Amino acid sequence: MACKHLAIHGSGDAVPELAKLLPDPQLSSWARIALEAIPGRRPGEALREAAESLEGRLLVGTINSIGVRRDAIAVNLLETLLKEEDAEVASAAAVALGNIANDAAARALRESLFTAPSSVRSAFAEGCVLCAERLDAAGRSDVAAEIYDQVRTADVPTQRIVEATRGAILARKQAGLPLLMETFQSPNNELFQLALSTAREFPGVEVDQALAAEMVSAAPDRATLIIQAMADRPKSVVLAAVLDSARHGNKRVRLSAIEALRRVGNESCLPALLEIAVDDDADLSQAAEETLAALPGASVDQQIVAMLPKAEGQNLQLLLKLIGQRRIDAINGVYAALDYSDPAVRHAALTALGETVKLNSLHRLISEVVNHRHPDDATVAQQALGVASARMPDRAACVLQLATAMERASEATKPILLEIIGGVGGTKALEVIGDAAMSDDPQMQDTGSRLLGKWNSVDAAPALLELAKTAPKEKYQIRALRGYIGLARKFAMSNVERAKMCRLALEVSTRLEEKKLALDVIKLYPSHATLKLAVSAQQDPELTDLATIAAQEIERKLTADGSDVSGVLSRPQ
Amino acid sequence: MSNNQSQVHRRHFLKTSATAIGASALAPTIIPSSALGRDGAIVPSERIVVGGIGIGRRGGYDLGCFLQQQDVQFVAVCDIKQKRRGEVKQIADEHYGNQNCATYRDFRDLLDRKDIDAVLIATGPNWHATAAMMAARAGKDMYCEKPVTKNIAQSLILAETMRRTGRVFQAGTQRRNLPHFAFACELARTGKLGKLKKVYAHPRGMQAMMSGWLPAEPEPEKDIVDWDMYLGPAAWRPFNKKLLDGFNFEKGGGLVGGGVLEWGSHCVDLCQWAVNDCLPPVEYNAPKNGELVARYENGTKLIFREKGWIPLGSCPVRFEGETGWVEAGDSGKIVLSSPELLAGHEVAEIGGYPATYHVRDFLDCVKTRGQPKGNAVAACNAHIACHAANIALHLGRQVKYDNTTHKFINDEPANRLRSEALREPWRL
Repeated sequence: MACKHLAIHGSGDAVPELAKLLPDPQLSSWARIALEAIPGRRPGEALREAAESLEGRLLVGTINSIGVRRDAIAVNLLETLLKEEDAEVASAAAVALGNIANDAAARALRESLFTAPSSVRSAFAEGCVLCAERLDAAGRSDVAAEIYDQVRTADVPTQRIVEATRGAILARKQAGLPLLMETFQSPNNELFQLALSTAREFPGVEVDQALAAEMVSAAPDRATLIIQAMADRPKSVVLAAVLDSARHGNKRVRLSAIEALRRVGNESCLPALLEIAVDDDADLSQAAEETLAALPGASVDQQIVAMLPKAEGQNLQLLLKLIGQRRIDAINGVYAALDYSDPAVRHAALTALGETVKLNSLHRLISEVVNHRHPDDATVAQQALGVASARMPDRAACVLQLATAMERASEATKPILLEIIGGVGGTKALEVIGDAAMSDDPQMQDTGSRLLGKWNSVDAAPALLELAKTAPKEKYQIRALRGYIGLARKFAMSNVERAKMCRLALEVSTRLEEKKLALDVIKLYPSHATLKLAVSAQQDPELTDLATIAAQEIERKLTADGSDVSGVLSRPQ
Repeated sequence: MSNNQSQVHRRHFLKTSATAIGASALAPTIIPSSALGRDGAIVPSERIVVGGIGIGRRGGYDLGCFLQQQDVQFVAVCDIKQKRRGEVKQIADEHYGNQNCATYRDFRDLLDRKDIDAVLIATGPNWHATAAMMAARAGKDMYCEKPVTKNIAQSLILAETMRRTGRVFQAGTQRRNLPHFAFACELARTGKLGKLKKVYAHPRGMQAMMSGWLPAEPEPEKDIVDWDMYLGPAAWRPFNKKLLDGFNFEKGGGLVGGGVLEWGSHCVDLCQWAVNDCLPPVEYNAPKNGELVARYENGTKLIFREKGWIPLGSCPVRFEGETGWVEAGDSGKIVLSSPELLAGHEVAEIGGYPATYHVRDFLDCVKTRGQPKGNAVAACNAHIACHAANIALHLGRQVKYDNTTHKFINDEPANRLRSEALREPWRL
C-alpha cells in the first residue's frame, strides 16, 4: 500500500526507491503505479533508465508507463526497441510511440510499418493510428491523413484497416466524403459496417444527400442498414428519400424505412403511412401503425384531427385509433363517429374516448354505457369507460359522476358501473362500494362485497369488518371477513395493529375456516402482541390445539431473536 | 410526447424474433418467412456469433438472456477457472443439443477466432475496461458488465477506443432499457417536470472498498485456476482464495476504492440520461449528512444519497424539477408528484431489472451499427461522475472537474487519482 500512498502523495524524492522495484516481478507494477502518477522529470528518467536493462514483461510494463506519460525524451529509446526480437516489447514500443505522437515518433512508426515482421505489424499499425489521431486533434490533419492512408495499404489485420479508414475519412473533413461512399461499396462487410458507423459521425449535410443516393442503389440488405444510419442524423436526414423507400420496393427496406420514420418523420409522412397502415401485408401495416402512433410533433396531431371529418371506413377507424394512442384531444370529432352505422367505427370511437376523454366530458361516455344506444357496443363502451375512469386525476369527482349515473342506470348496468368505480379506487370509491354491499339489491351486494374483498389497501378494513358482521347474506359476510383477514396478511402495519385486526377477525368468525386463516396471519408475524393473541385463542375449544401450536411457534421465533416472552405465555389446562 | 417513446421499440426489419419476456407492453417481432431457414431457424448469415469471457454468477444470468435470442450462436467460453469453463460449456451444449462450445483459459485465444462477432465480458471489475479494449482492437463488439472502468482515464480511453475502432459497446446498465425508468428519464429530459433542479442517485454505500493484500496460500495449478490471468491488470498480490470471485480489487474503483460505483454506475447512468446525457458534473463535494452533492455546469445538482427514498426497490432514482418530480426503482413502479404527469400513458411496470431488453438492444445495434442505450460515451460520462465523486469522498473535500481538459482544476492530488498503471503486460 506504500506504493499507492506514494502515487497519491509521493514526490520526486521517492523515485529512487521506487525505481529499485522495477526489476521485481511482483512489485514492478506497484512501483509503476506511483511512477506514472508522480509528476516531474524524475519518474521519466527512472523509467527510461530501467528500460535500458529490463527484458520481457517487465520491460513491456515499463514501456507502457513511458507511453502513458507521453515521454517525448524516450522516442529514440523506443525507436530502438521497435527492432527488438521480442514481439511484445516491439509492439509495446510502437503503441507508446503512438501515444507520444510527436514528429519523431511519427517518423519512426511510418518508416517501420512496411518492414516490420508480421508478428508486430498490427501493433505498429495501431501505433500509427494512435499517432495520426493525436496529430489530427492537434490540427495537423494532412499529416494524419497520410499516415492513415499508409496503414490502409499495409499488410495488416482488417481491424487496423477499419480504424485507418475511419481516420482517413474524418481527417479529410468534407473531402473525406468520396472515401466514405467508396467504403459503403466495399465488398468487405467489415468495411461496410465501418462506413455505417462513420456516416453517423460525419459532419455537414452533403453526406445526407450522398447516403440517400447510396441507399437507393444499394442491395436491399445494405439499403436496410443505410436507412438506419440516415435516421440517426435526424437534423439533416433526407426525409423524402426515407419516405419514398417506405412506400415502394423491397419489403425489408420498406420496413426499415417505416421504422426510421418513427424517429425522423413529420406530418408530411402521414398520408403515405396511413395508406401503408391499411395495406394487406400484415408486417407493413403493423409497422406503419406503430410509426403513426409514435410520429413526433403536435402538427401530426393537428393533421389527424383535420383528416377526421372526411375519412371513411378503414381510414376512419385507423384515425380514431391513432387519436386514442396519441391521446389527441378531438372529442367532438370522435363523438360524431358514435353516430355511424358501422359498428367497427363506433367501437374505434369508443376506444378512443376511453383514452382521451377528460373529466368534464366523462358524462358523455357514461351516457353511452347507461343509455345503450347500440346494444352491440355495450362491451366496448364499458371497457372504454373503465379505461377513462382509471385515468382521471380527480378520483373522487370521477366516482361521484359514476355513482350519480348508477342511481338512474338499469339493474343490469348498475353492477357494471360499480365495477368501474372499483377500478378507480380511493376513499370515495370505497364508500360507494361499501354502501352498495349493504344495499337491498342482491346484485349490488354480490358485486360490492366482491370488490371490497379484493380491495388493495388497508383503508377497506373498517368497511370489510362491518360487512363481515352485518351483510345481508352469510356468503357475503364470509367473503368480507376473508378480505379483512387478507388485508392483515398483505399490508405493512404495526404489530399491535395487526394483532388487533386478527383479534377482531377471530371475534367475528363463526366458522373454523376463517379462524384458521386468522391464526395463519398471527403465526406469520411473530410479536408479543400476536403471541398474546395466540394464547388467548386457546380458550376457543375449536382452536385450542392449533392456537397452542401457533403460540409455541411464535415463542420459538421470538426467543431465537433474543426476545423475553415470559409473562406472556400460559399453557392450557 | 408520444405515448410509447419510452417503450422498447421493435425492429421489424431485423430478422430477429422477440423472446418470451412477459411484458404486455411488447408484442412479438415479426420475422418475414423469407428470413427463416428450415424449421424456422435463423439462417447462419443472420446469426451473431458470441463468445463469453469470465461467465460467473452475473455472467451466467447475462448468458441466459443471450441464449434466449434466436439470432445468437454462443460458441465459446473463456474462464480462468477450469470448473467454470466446464459449467458454462455444459449450459451452452445443453441449449444447442451438441458438444460444440469451445473452452479457453486465455481470452486472447478466444479473441483470435475470426468467426466470433461479439463477446460477453463478465469478469471481475478489474478486467472490464482492459478486456473490452482488447476485444475492440480484435474487431469484436461487446456487452461488458459494470462497472466498466476503474478510473477517469480508463473511462475516457474506453470512449476513444470504441470511436476509433468503430465497435459496438453496451455497458451492463440495463435499466436504460426498462420502460418505467425510461419514462421517468423522459419526463425529466423533455421538461415535463419543469426546469430540472436535482437528480438523485442511490450509491449503496459511500465507503471505499479496498481488497488489499491477503496472506499467501499455495497457488493452484494454472489449468485449475490461472491466478496470473485472474489478476490480469491488477497489481500483483499472492494467491488467496478469498480474492477469487465477486467484487474485489478496490471494488472496481482503482486507487480509491469504488464505494459509489456499486449502484452508482446504474443510478448515475439514469441521472445522466435524465439530464440528456450531458457532460459529467463539474463540482463534487465531500459527503455531508449522508449526501454527496455534485453540480453540473448548468447548476443542476446530482445528489448521491443513502436514505430518504420511497420504497421502490433497489437502484432508485429521483428527478426533481421546478414543477414536478418522479421517483423510480427496481420494483418496476414509479411515483409521480401528480397523476397528470402520467397523462393517460401506460408505462409497463417490469420489476427485477431484467437484462433481456438490453441484450436485444445490443444485438440490434451489432446489426445496424447504431449506438445502443448503454454505449461507451454514455458509460464514460456516468463513470467519470462516479469516479470523481469517489475522489471527493477519498480526499474529504471539494474537487472541481474540467470537461474540456478532463482534469481536476489546480488539484494535483485529485489528478493523481485519475488513472492507475496496469500490471504488465497489459495496457489499455
